[in-house]
Amino acid sequence: MADNLDDILRRAADTKVPRRSFLAAAGLLGGSAALAACSTGSTGGATTAPAASGAASAGASAGTDASASPAGDVEKQLFMYNWSDYTSPKNIDAFKAKFGVEKFQYDTYANNEELLAKLQAGASGYDIAAPTAEYVPSMVEGGYIQKLDWSRIPNQKYINAAFKGLAWDPNDEYQLPKDFGTTGILYRSKVVKEPVTTWQEFYDLIVGKYSGKTVFVDSMGDIFVMPLKMLGKSINSVEPADLDAARDILLKLAPHILALDSDTYQDKLASEEAVLCLGWTGPIVELRENPDTADIAYSVPTDGTLFWLDTWVMLNDAPNPNAAYAFLNFIHEPEVQAEETNFNGYGTPNDEAKKFIDPEILNDPVFFPPEDAMANLEGAVDTSSNEQRIDIWQEFKSAIGG
Amino acid sequence: MATAVQTPEEAKGIRGRGSSALLTTALIFPAGLWYVLLLVAPLIIVTIFSFGNRAKNGGYEAAFTFDNYVRLLTQTQRMEPFFTSLWMAVAGTIGCLLVGLPLAYFIATRTTRHKGLFILLLVIPFWTSFLIRTYAWLIVLGRENVGGFIGSLIGDADFRILGTPAAVLVGLVYGYLPLMVFPLYVTLERMDRTLVEASKDLGAGRWATFRQITLPIALPGLITGSILVFIPMMGEYVIPQILGYGRTFLVGNALVDAFVQTRNWPFGSAMAVLLILVMLITITFYVWFVNRGRHGREVSVL
Repeated sequence: MADNLDDILRRAADTKVPRRSFLAAAGLLGGSAALAACSTGSTGGATTAPAASGAASAGASAGTDASASPAGDVEKQLFMYNWSDYTSPKNIDAFKAKFGVEKFQYDTYANNEELLAKLQAGASGYDIAAPTAEYVPSMVEGGYIQKLDWSRIPNQKYINAAFKGLAWDPNDEYQLPKDFGTTGILYRSKVVKEPVTTWQEFYDLIVGKYSGKTVFVDSMGDIFVMPLKMLGKSINSVEPADLDAARDILLKLAPHILALDSDTYQDKLASEEAVLCLGWTGPIVELRENPDTADIAYSVPTDGTLFWLDTWVMLNDAPNPNAAYAFLNFIHEPEVQAEETNFNGYGTPNDEAKKFIDPEILNDPVFFPPEDAMANLEGAVDTSSNEQRIDIWQEFKSAIGG
Repeated sequence: MATAVQTPEEAKGIRGRGSSALLTTALIFPAGLWYVLLLVAPLIIVTIFSFGNRAKNGGYEAAFTFDNYVRLLTQTQRMEPFFTSLWMAVAGTIGCLLVGLPLAYFIATRTTRHKGLFILLLVIPFWTSFLIRTYAWLIVLGRENVGGFIGSLIGDADFRILGTPAAVLVGLVYGYLPLMVFPLYVTLERMDRTLVEASKDLGAGRWATFRQITLPIALPGLITGSILVFIPMMGEYVIPQILGYGRTFLVGNALVDAFVQTRNWPFGSAMAVLLILVMLITITFYVWFVNRGRHGREVSVL
């Protein structure tokens, strides 16, 4: 038992913050050492990255002086606000060396709300940040970010066309795609021998053979993907008839669900309490590292699923705009970008970079969905204001317990 | 026991120390500031928000509408978390009472030296993060331990405790037990033991003694303790999330959904206001219920 607890704590401390998990992210328990440790990025990378927090405001005032230097001159410093362990320390060092940047500040946030809150509170002192694309429209509306001058980011030509002109930034004015990932099906392949390549197959297994052994992430936007794609509709549909049909599917699923859990679903998969999971790719790498759970497999349903996209944006009051442009262009150098993917384990939208990425990663659906699935990916627009969706979601949640 | 009416001498005495009024103000100021900034102001903000609209990209937009309340009160799926929370909190409070009262009585009747030890043992778990302790219950109740053991006893391999309301209840009772024990301990510790002996001498049995002597004396602590555990249980978010596997959907979880997933602050605020009202009504009813027919008895609530 002690071993067990030790194991859980160790995992809690080592785990990257689940990208959209509220419990870990909000740190609402204040005193939790394990969570505090992971939200400041305890996993290797951050220790080498200059992640000392608190110096940002001091740096910002210094930065104002630097921006007075002639246009085009790269300032001696750059302030980045980013997810933890999301940019390779090697690349940061290379950038500093190449452009003579002396001070590279890498501060981290645990979720988009935290980033937004900081910007809403006024001058953040940061130059660049990496929000999820869904949040870009509100950042534009709030006047927190500036239009990018693409002539200063020539490497954007490497970005796959699939990641341009998206609903979040229809005219490609504000966001430079950074990394992307999918919502899909995680399963223990040593237990689940049946194919799970589509949502319908997944559904049949949940209500059939593996009833009570499926965990869903606690995320409204991701859960609606499954019924809507089974119906052949857009994941963003707000058509009342589509949603009614989706509701029927969800309520049929509800009694067969083991847990709604965004924070510890990897533990439930590891213990085989759950063998199927509608979730994110985050925990897979770690589960694979353990021989007992190495059989974890990931499937991107071929009938279509959601992809998320994190993007680089430049803040309106960026004190070091030249260094920011230098970085945004530098980071999309194919070889630099390949190192990013090798480091953070997320798919890159940069086509040219794929030539330099480990083939094993390239052929792994966890990072890069296969061609047939890729064609059916759909970006999520913010449908969280749709009352019908919210009502169904609440009903679904109550139905799971009852 | 203090009486409500001051004697003229007492009143004069207080006025006579008027020069220290400034000091009193100065000493009360931090607490007053705390009260205003962190309780009154947020309450006002939440109440104002609850009449607003959701902004286009989530958040709050100024308006004056009752829509949030109408939706909340007319849709059963919106009200369900309130009912679930209410019965869970009531059951949790009763659970804390059943475990806490004997425990408090036991500690209160030990020798002074042992009292300190037991109180220390009760406090020690607080040195560890609440989250870590809740995670520990995952293991204790898991299929390899208690859950599996009970399952093997009743011969059901699929038996689970985790992910059921029972697990949430265990977590609630465990998490809030000390808040019940301390007020009970304080009242029971001051109890005059000779009263119990007198009761026995006069021929009362154990039950009659408990009902007529111990319970009335413990009542102020019991009320305080019940309120102290009931309120946070009503708003609990973490325990149902971890031990309940997100299957027991309480108001706290519905609130997180409203603020984070649907980013509808006004609706979340309306829920928060309703939660406060539910708690106020429940507690008022509770205090009235336990105090009925006890006019004149001094009861300290907090």
